[in-house]
Amino acid sequence: MPNAPHWGWFIILYFFIGGIAAGLYFIGTLALLGGDPRDRPVTRFCYLATFPLVLACGFLLTIDLGKPLRFWHMLIQSERIPLPMLKYWAPMSLGSWVLGIFAIFSGVAFLGALIDSGRVTAERATRLVAWGRARPRAIKLTWSLIGISFALFFGGYTGVLLVGTNVPLWHNAQLLGAVFLLSAASTAYALLVLVLRRRDDRESMVSLRKLETADRWIIALELLAIVIMLVTLGSFARPLITGGFGVLFWIGVVGIGLLFPLLLPSLRSGTLSRRPTLGATCVLAGGLLLRFVVIMAPQWPNIALWKL
Amino acid sequence: MAKGFYTDTTACIGCKACQVACHQWNNIPAEDGGRRDLTGDSYDNTGRLSALDWRHVKFIEQFPDDRQQDGFLKGSRWLMMSDTCKHCVQAPCLEVCPTGAIIRTEFDSVFIQQDVCNGCRACVSACPFGVVDTGPDGKAHKCTLCYDRLQHGQEPACAQACPTDSIRFGDVDELMTYADQRVANLRAQGVDAYVYGKEDILGGLNSFYVLVDKPNVYGLPENPQMASANVAEGFAISTVAAAAVAVTGIAAFRKHRMDEIAAAESPAPTPEPPANESSDA
Repeated sequence: MPNAPHWGWFIILYFFIGGIAAGLYFIGTLALLGGDPRDRPVTRFCYLATFPLVLACGFLLTIDLGKPLRFWHMLIQSERIPLPMLKYWAPMSLGSWVLGIFAIFSGVAFLGALIDSGRVTAERATRLVAWGRARPRAIKLTWSLIGISFALFFGGYTGVLLVGTNVPLWHNAQLLGAVFLLSAASTAYALLVLVLRRRDDRESMVSLRKLETADRWIIALELLAIVIMLVTLGSFARPLITGGFGVLFWIGVVGIGLLFPLLLPSLRSGTLSRRPTLGATCVLAGGLLLRFVVIMAPQWPNIALWKL
Repeated sequence: MAKGFYTDTTACIGCKACQVACHQWNNIPAEDGGRRDLTGDSYDNTGRLSALDWRHVKFIEQFPDDRQQDGFLKGSRWLMMSDTCKHCVQAPCLEVCPTGAIIRTEFDSVFIQQDVCNGCRACVSACPFGVVDTGPDGKAHKCTLCYDRLQHGQEPACAQACPTDSIRFGDVDELMTYADQRVANLRAQGVDAYVYGKEDILGGLNSFYVLVDKPNVYGLPENPQMASANVAEGFAISTVAAAAVAVTGIAAFRKHRMDEIAAAESPAPTPEPPANESSDA
C-alpha cells in the first residue's frame, strides 16, 4: 500500500476547475459550430471564462508542488535544457503537456472573444484574429476539432492520473477518467445554466433549453458510469462507499449532485420548480464533492481533510 | 552487474542497528527531533518507512489467543524484518516520475536526484510498498542503496552494521543463489520459507527477502503491479466517454433545431412557452 501522496484541496480544486474549463471550451466550440447566431453569447462566455480557469489550473498545480519553482521540470529536462521532458505513458507527464497546449487553444479563443466583445481594440491583436478568421473553413474546423480533443482529454485525464497510481481504490477504477470527464461536461453545462438564468433574456432562454437537455443526458450517463465503476471495483470501493465518505458520496454526490437535478424537472412541486437554478447549483456542488471524496477517501486518515 | 540486498528475516534479531546506521550515514534527522511517541506496537518505534526512515524494522508477534494451550509459547513466534526500498527491476516510481528525477544507476539501483525532484508526489502514490515519501523539504526521499558509498567501493551502511548478516549486500544473482540455498536448508528443518522478490514480482526485486509467512503478514503486497497497468484501459474508456459527451452535445443542439423546424411547419402554431418553464426541455 503506498504512502498517502497528500494531494489536498489544491488538487481537488484543480480537478474541479480544470473539468469546468475543459467542458466550457467544448460547449463554446459546439455552440459555435453547431448552434445558431442566438448561441453566440454562450460561445463568448465560454471562451472568456476558459482561459482564466486554465491559468488558475496551472497556478494550483504549481503551488501544490513541494518545490514550486521547479514546475518547469515537468516540461523540460532540467539537466539537458532545452530537451523536452515527456513520458507519454505517465498521465501526470502527459497532462502537464496537455495543460500547456490547451492553454494555447483557450488563449487564442480568449483573444477572439475579447475582440468580439469590444474589450480589446489593439490593432495588432485585431489584425491577428482577423487573419485567423480569414483562413479557409476546413482549417478553422480542424483547429476547432483539435482544440476540442485537447479539451476533452484534459477533462478526463485527471481521473486516469489517479488510475496510474498504486492506491487500490484509484488503481482499479478504470472508469474514473470517464466519470471525471462526464462530470466535467456536466458541471460546465450547469455553470452556463446559472449564467444564462441570470441574464433571463429571450436569446439566453433558447440556448438554455439546449444546455439543460444536454446536461440531463450527461448526468444520466455519469450515473451509469459510476454504477459500472462501483460494480467493477468490488471490495476496492470500500473507502469510497462506507463510513463518513460513504455518506458524502451517496447523499452528496449521487443523491444531491446527480439524482436530484436529474429528477427535478419531473417534480411538479411548486416550491422547487420556482427555483430554476437549484438543479444547476446541485450539479456544481456534487461535482466538487465527487472530487473531494474520490481524492480524500483513500488517503484518510493520513491526511487532514483541510490539507491544501 | 545489479547490486542489491538479500534480507534473511529468520536471522533478524530486531536490534535496529540498520536503522541507526542509515540515519547516521545519510545524516537523516529523527522525526519531530526524536520527540515522537512510542507506537505501542511491540518494539517498533518508527511505524513505517518514510522520508525520514529509509530502514524500518518490523516486529510481528504471533501468539495464539490462549497462550497456555499446549504449553506456554508453543506455536508462538516473533517475526522480525528489516524493510527498505526494493529497488525493483520494473520500478513503478521510476516509471511515473514526470520530471526524470528518479533514475536507475549503474548499480541497477533506483535513485532520486534531489536537485531535479519538484515534489509532485507521483512516485509516492505509485510505490506499492509504501517506500517513497515526501520530507519536510517538500521533495521525495527513500533509500539510495548508499549510492555515495557504492561509488567508493563500500557496501551500504545498514548491511555493514547488521550484526547477524540478516542484511547482505552484493551482486543480486549471487545473493539469490545464496537465498535459494538458505530456503532449502530452512525447508529441510521444517520451516515453510520462500524467497519474496523473484522475477514474478515487478520483474524481480533487487532488494529481496526470505520470509516464513505470507507476504501480507509482513505488510508486503501479494501481487504488486506497475502503476500504469490500467492506464491504457482508463484512457480507452475515457475516449468512449469523450465520444458520448460530443454526441450528446451535438444531439441536444440538433434536437432543438428539429423542434423549432417542426414547430414552424406545424399547421396549428403553438404559443412560445414562457421562459421560466424551459427547465424541463
